This record gives sequence, C-alpha cells and structure tokens, in this order.
Amino acid sequence: MRWLPFELHTHTPHSDGTHSLLEMCRAAAELGLDGIALTDHNTVSGLADAEAVSKQTGITIIPGMEWTTFYGHMLTLGAPYCEWRDLGPGDIHKGIARVHEQGGIVGIAHPYSFGSPICTGCHWDYTISDWNQIDYMEVWHETMPPMKNHNVPAFRQWTELLNEGYRISATAGRDWHRSNPADNLAAYTYIGLPDAPLPHSLTDIIAAIRQGQICLSMGPLLEISLTLGADQYGLGDEVPLVIREAHSVAELTVQITRSAQPERPWGAEEGTLIIVDSNLGELAKVPACGYDGLPIMLTTAGLGWLRVRLFGTIDGILTTMACTNAIYFANGQRDEE
Amino acid sequence: MIMLVLFRYRYHIDDYRAKEVQTMHKDIIAVEGKLTPLSSKTHITYQVHLEQPLSALEIDFRYAPKPFLDREASQPLILEAIETYSDPAWVELHKKQWENFYPLQNLLTLSLDSPTGFRGSAHRHAPEQQHIICPDRSKTSPGFIAGDVPSGVWKVTISVHCVVTPDCRYELSVRGTGR
Repeated sequence: MRWLPFELHTHTPHSDGTHSLLEMCRAAAELGLDGIALTDHNTVSGLADAEAVSKQTGITIIPGMEWTTFYGHMLTLGAPYCEWRDLGPGDIHKGIARVHEQGGIVGIAHPYSFGSPICTGCHWDYTISDWNQIDYMEVWHETMPPMKNHNVPAFRQWTELLNEGYRISATAGRDWHRSNPADNLAAYTYIGLPDAPLPHSLTDIIAAIRQGQICLSMGPLLEISLTLGADQYGLGDEVPLVIREAHSVAELTVQITRSAQPERPWGAEEGTLIIVDSNLGELAKVPACGYDGLPIMLTTAGLGWLRVRLFGTIDGILTTMACTNAIYFANGQRDEE
Repeated sequence: MIMLVLFRYRYHIDDYRAKEVQTMHKDIIAVEGKLTPLSSKTHITYQVHLEQPLSALEIDFRYAPKPFLDREASQPLILEAIETYSDPAWVELHKKQWENFYPLQNLLTLSLDSPTGFRGSAHRHAPEQQHIICPDRSKTSPGFIAGDVPSGVWKVTISVHCVVTPDCRYELSVRGTGR
C-alpha cells in the first residue's frame, strides 16, 4: 500500500473560489499534495477541465461537490450532480441514497461551523436516523485544524460514533478557496492506495476513503499495523471475534515518516507522544522516539476500535499532529445482526 | 409574460460575398420581487417553456441590499446564532466578540435546469451577476454547464439561503439568443 496526501475540500470560480483549477493544482503540487477533490458548491461544471489540468500538473482530481444547502453542507465524492433542492431537514437520507446509487460517497462538512445567519447552512442541522449511511466526517476543517475550536466537537462526535459501533471515516478539508502562499498550513488527508501503477483509479480512492484507510496529519505519516498471532490488520480492517478471543494481547506497530516538505518538519522527536485511543479510552501513551517502529503491547479484551494519534508541539502549542482512522474489532452483537 | 423580439443585423465577409446573419434576442423572463427574512431557506423557481431551440441564454440577476448595515438590529441576531451554534465553553468569549460577525449578509444564489436536467449554478456572493449558457465552453459562465439550449421546459431557481435585512429586492431577467 502507498500513502498519498490529498486535499479533499476545494473550490474554484465555478462556485466562490478565486483560483482556477489549474492555479490550485499547481499550488497543490508545491504543497506536496498528490491529489485534490474538486468540491465546488452545488455545481460540477469545473470538472470539465479536470483531465487537462491533471495531465498538466500531475495532480489527481477526484470529482466531487459540496451540497451547500439550507440545513448543512455535505461533501460528495465520485458521483455526478445529485439533486438537493427538493429536500427538507428530515430528508437527508433520501439525498444520501441518490449519491450512493450513483457510486459516490458522502461526508458531513464542518459539522460544527456556525450556521445562519453567520454562515448560511454551515452548521449540520439535518436529522440523521442511520449513521451507517454517513461515509465520512470532515473532523479537521480549514488551516491548522487541530487548533480550531469548531473542530473540537466534530472530532468528539466522530469518537462518540465509533464508541457506539459505527464505522465512519474521518477526513481533513481545507475548504480551499484561494491560493495564497502566506496562508497557514492545512492538514493532509493521507489515503492508503493499492500499489498499482499510476494513475490511481477513482474506484480505489473512493473505496479507500469509505474504508477508512486514512491518516490526517499536519505532516508526518502514521502507518499502523496490529498483529494478533499470525494475522495482521491495518486501518479500516476488522479483527474477527474469534481472533480477538484467541489472543489476549495484540502488538501494535506505528511507523512515523516525516513529510519531505521543509515547512512540515515534525516527526518522532523527543517530547512527542504516541497515544492509542480506543472505546476504552487511552490504551497507551508512549514516547514516539522510543516506539517508532517498535511494537506496543495492548490488551484486546473489550476492544471495539482503536486509533493512533501523534501528540506534540507545533509552533509552541501542544496538539495532535496526526491521527489515524480506526482499526475495528468485531463483537458478538454485531455478528448476530 | 411580455415578449419583445428584437432584430439585429450583422455583416460578415465570407469568400468575397457579403453574408447576412440574423441574430434574434428574445426576452424570456423579466421579473422582480421583494423578500423578507421569512423567505430565508426557500426556493423561488421560474419555469418557462421555450418553443424553439436557442443558441444561448443570458441571465441577469441582482439583489439588494447585500450587507445588513444596522448594527443595533444585527447584534441580537448574531448573539442568538452564537448561542445556538457555539460550543458552550466558548459562548461567552464569542459573545464578547460578536462584532467579528458584523455585518451579516443576504445570500441568494441562482441555478438552472434544462428540459433534460441540471445545467449548473452560481453559488457565490456577488449581488449582481450576469451569466451566459451556450454550447461553447469558453463562453459559458463559470458554474454553468455548456451545451445546447433545446426547446422545452427550463427552470431558473433562486435559492434564498438567507435574508437578514427587513427587505430584500431582486431582479431576474433571462434573454435568449437565436438565429
């Protein structure tokens, strides 16, 4: 598997962005990104240039849209335009089904941004009756996302949903409207893709996001692997119940790779911690420099999910530098469903 | 609906022969309206039947006012939004800084549907907009999908995301170009 940094939330003059797709993709290449998702507000017309721009810049372009509705903003990836204007605040599942029927996936954008009249429809107000239909949540929004107030409840909600047994991917999104080299850094959404020849297939990218083969990061890539006996599991995988019950201890390895971008120098330096989160709380908190590539032993009893965070200092502020999506554990209840 | 048909004549030199090309401009929609905050979160759709295919559609759209420049009337609206949307831990801090969110803005956006489906939108903040939709991608306005303008039922939808001023007036006109 190879891990490539993407930016999954962008705009151009086809909605309210100011940089053209070509300008944005050139800037993306300079920022070290491999791909972007074009998610203009309520239109897909900007995608007409995608093939030519992708060829010119080497940036993969995922077709998408940001449903910019009265009751919430919803990102769609891999689907053509799907109708939103006939939906009320109780009808989002009808809208999600339209996207899924077209082979796309949906993600809640910036769920805790301020809503109308400060920012119209920016706060998520749709009623969700089945969280299994939500493919991903944008838990890190805008630049320097781990330090933004409105991302705190979004991240917390994602964690609570994982605790309730839902399998929802988490992404970062800059909500990129203009290319300004003076802007603060945005996070990468690293996506784990098969070791297939380039270009990456859209189907593989969409499947990886839905599956949660994702690491959000201000720079360093966290690759994690969980070993129970002879079996290994990666992000988005499920550890079967029989395997968990057969092994009371699992070995977790975390590989921390610094970004090649000089403006993102963070890695497994002294003072940086690897934190293993789970439905049982923090399972481990160990110095990153001591455990980069070495196994962390974890007790498997009662686990529903786990994820890894890298915690350290960015610009003098202690914060989450990177966070993986989850590895899941099957439980008896789920198997009976 | 009032229909005005104008004729314009242009001359092109082609193989040493003067060739007359007739371009027809046809008013299709010419409306205006007044909105109040009650219209927030509503869609206003103008539906029109084109009897003949056209070579292009031109849309003019404007609304005013854009910002709500009444500080006193804005304050309770902003405070209410902060109470509704802020994480409880930050409510008091945001309230102290309520002027960060001043002035509030009206937001109306336009979208277009052809007889065969969605033809694009202009989700942006400019309160005066002009758009062209035609088969030529380089001439079609950003946000809209270039292509033929066939006969049949077309819809222009004004999505009223937010009216925060006591009154908001809009004007919409659609003109067709034929040959």
